[in-house]
Amino acid sequence: MFSWLETTGVALWVGESLWGYPILLSLHAVGLAIVVGIFAMRDLRLLGLFPGIAPTVFLPLGKLGWSGFIVNAISGVLLFTSQAVTFVGNTAFLIKISCIIIAMSVAGIIQSRLRVEAAANTGLSAISNSTRVIAAISLSLWAGAIVAGRLVAYL
Amino acid sequence: MLEWIAAFIVDSPLTMWVEATYWIWPILEITHFFGLSLLLGGLIIIDLRLAGHFKALPLIATHQLLPFVFIGFGLNLITGILFFYGDPLRYAVNIGFQIKMALVFLAGLNALLYYWKIHPVIHTWNSANATPPIARFVAYASLTIWSGVLVCGRLLPYVGDTYG
Repeated sequence: MFSWLETTGVALWVGESLWGYPILLSLHAVGLAIVVGIFAMRDLRLLGLFPGIAPTVFLPLGKLGWSGFIVNAISGVLLFTSQAVTFVGNTAFLIKISCIIIAMSVAGIIQSRLRVEAAANTGLSAISNSTRVIAAISLSLWAGAIVAGRLVAYL
Repeated sequence: MLEWIAAFIVDSPLTMWVEATYWIWPILEITHFFGLSLLLGGLIIIDLRLAGHFKALPLIATHQLLPFVFIGFGLNLITGILFFYGDPLRYAVNIGFQIKMALVFLAGLNALLYYWKIHPVIHTWNSANATPPIARFVAYASLTIWSGVLVCGRLLPYVGDTYG
């Protein structure tokens, strides 16, 4: 299936056109800055930093984070098609994708917790220990995704 | 100027060390990506608020993110200098790298504009009021320039293959 994917028109465009691959890589970097940047700031807030910023602000900001994720899901799938066989056999790549899937699920959990807090209108109240633990897990997952993503080219 | 610096450092012990240490390059890349996430993550929130979005967020409170912006910039300055030491002649003549450095310089000027025109009066702004045009300009300029920095960095290996 993965070798078939590499022969599709879109995969050939990504892999063989002059600018396909670099343009997608650039989009992927901008998307990374948005999704990891915003979710990392959210996690640091939930860990107790930036006390002047209400955690619930990360509900609307989280939507921006998700749009960064969508940019990267699309650019990532397109980049993947060009070397699908190599990528599925690369341990670092598989770790990266696992980290991202778990981190985005965790983002959903954090969002629902923030929504409960927003409904209770306690924007500046103390953050529960369980939420802090989840934020620490999220931050580690994003760090793991970056480490694994960089190592794809080396392993 | 870049080529002059490159010629000056190309025989330095640091260049030889970076070239000879096979694990240093991936570690620099990972750190550079951590740095960009902190730098851009903080700036996206600060600049979008400065431009008038997310008004539930107190304008002055966004300044609490600034230490992480500076930590991110510091990490990327250090790792960036080590990248340059690792392959000075190639970086110096690379058009992507040259534009990237020009954009970082421009981002610095934009930050100066912020400290000159906005920082002294920002405390007097009422968040209910319309955002002053200068604030929108500085905020969108910052986001545009830093996106350009990211794109140039990513395109670096694909442009300027006159060397190599």
